[in-house]
Amino acid sequence: MLSGKIKRLVTIGSVSAFFVCSAAKAELASLSDNELSSVDGAGIGMVFEDFVFNAVTDASNGQSFKISGIKSTKGEDVDITVSQLYIANAGSNYGETLNPVNLGRLVNPYEIELLDGNDIGLDDKAILQFAAPKKVAAGTGYDCVNASAAVNSGACSSRPAGTDATSGEVIIGERPDIGLKLQVQVGTNAPDSLSINAKSAVFDGSYLRLWGDDNKNQLVGEYRLNFYTPELSISSCDASGQSCGNTIYMKNFELELVLGNQFQPMSIGVTEAQDGTIQPGNFVFEIASIKDYADQKGYMANLPSNGLRSGCNGDTSCEGAWDFFNGYYTNPDFKSNLRIGAMHIGDISGSGQNFGSAKIEGMTIQYLKMSSHDL
Amino acid sequence: MLKVSKFRINILLLSLLSFSFSFPVMAELSSINDEEMSVISGQAGVYLSGEIALNENGGPIQNAYFGDCTDSKRCGARLAFQTKQNGGWFVLDDMKGSFSFQGLTLKVRDINSGFGGDGAKFNRQVLEIGLPDQIKVDKFQYTYATSSTARPSDAGFQQTDIYTVEIDGDITMQGNLLVFPTGSN
Repeated sequence: MLSGKIKRLVTIGSVSAFFVCSAAKAELASLSDNELSSVDGAGIGMVFEDFVFNAVTDASNGQSFKISGIKSTKGEDVDITVSQLYIANAGSNYGETLNPVNLGRLVNPYEIELLDGNDIGLDDKAILQFAAPKKVAAGTGYDCVNASAAVNSGACSSRPAGTDATSGEVIIGERPDIGLKLQVQVGTNAPDSLSINAKSAVFDGSYLRLWGDDNKNQLVGEYRLNFYTPELSISSCDASGQSCGNTIYMKNFELELVLGNQFQPMSIGVTEAQDGTIQPGNFVFEIASIKDYADQKGYMANLPSNGLRSGCNGDTSCEGAWDFFNGYYTNPDFKSNLRIGAMHIGDISGSGQNFGSAKIEGMTIQYLKMSSHDL
Repeated sequence: MLKVSKFRINILLLSLLSFSFSFPVMAELSSINDEEMSVISGQAGVYLSGEIALNENGGPIQNAYFGDCTDSKRCGARLAFQTKQNGGWFVLDDMKGSFSFQGLTLKVRDINSGFGGDGAKFNRQVLEIGLPDQIKVDKFQYTYATSSTARPSDAGFQQTDIYTVEIDGDITMQGNLLVFPTGSN
């Protein structure tokens, strides 16, 4: 059959899907009312202290890190060599100087916890949550993007390096520099190198929630990724690292990505048999349709014809339907945002260009389905 | 200080149904004599070094799909899992290679200062896992794939290999992982 035959994946997201799913079991068993009543959000906190991670490819030391098996549209092999993957303290100078960083705070750590679904709009479900440090009330934490933010400047808990104003103790910082340098060779063409670096990255408020869906008999979830960095840079060079093109700098980069929510859980699966036009053994990522949920709850049938709440004329099921959609479209928790403070191509103190700021705000996913296909 | 001697685990070739798998483990601990015992207090924690090898010479199953690492067939372990009842399978296929490390430490630590002022507020004990600084990886690889069946020998088997990762050499992993319970007690 198709064993060993390598095909090209035409959708993105498989890497993250793998990480998402590798930690998950097929279906979570529901807890009884009695069991649920004793669930109080207890979990396990994790803090990395003085952490450095570095994996490199260095042929002279016998070190290699490769990703293969991907084909170009012309059927040529695409070999990716990971020249460097690092996590270290801010100020690493793009991975040159690797100093230890803390990930998470003792008072606000990374957590694996069990949530009571009744508290987050998922009735009678036990939710497994993997969470980055939580955000704090605006103005009581640190600005998420500013790499030298002072206390009481924002809503993020992770701190840049500095000195704690209360205790006078040194803060080594909880905002890592993260970078990935790849060398990509397509077929027999000369390899190119691609480098992506994020300075002083903050993930506060990100989480992954997983639970079992009784109707679909499937593991479903909700994923929120908050990613803030004062500078995200992307550059490409030839294999020797020389003759580089202009680096793209995205200054004050803020990504708040929401995939799925309690009404529209996301699911990741693999087709077992032919599913429409999708062949068996292909990957499918789906965010459920809000219309399906609203149909199921009877909201679609009860909406006022003129779209106004006053058009319900006091009908409670009509007002309930209107309120549901009003809440759905106004809740900031369901919206994805991308803000780039300034996009620079090249060094703007030299001959580079400044393209100014860009924003995509309030993006709601009503339905999404992605799948891989055989070519 | 308790010293656990080098251990070695061979995970044999796996062909799995869901998460219900078992892997034979071979562990060897050397005994310590009275003199060594007398200096052990158990308070300084545990120091571990070890090597984990996966299917260096293939596994016990050899058929049209699995080989013994001398032919062109796959000889690594296969781990298949599904996220939907009666759905297809995510597969980590052809997993093989080894990791070795020295200096993984485990101890209980009382934290009441440091951490930029957080230590005093925290004022509790944590489990400290000291990372080994360097992890030596010897030709570790796996292929990430999606498949219509758990086993390559099942009827209707179709698989899409998505990518293969190969790692060789040393990886730096420094620091301590602090683990503690959270939430209301």
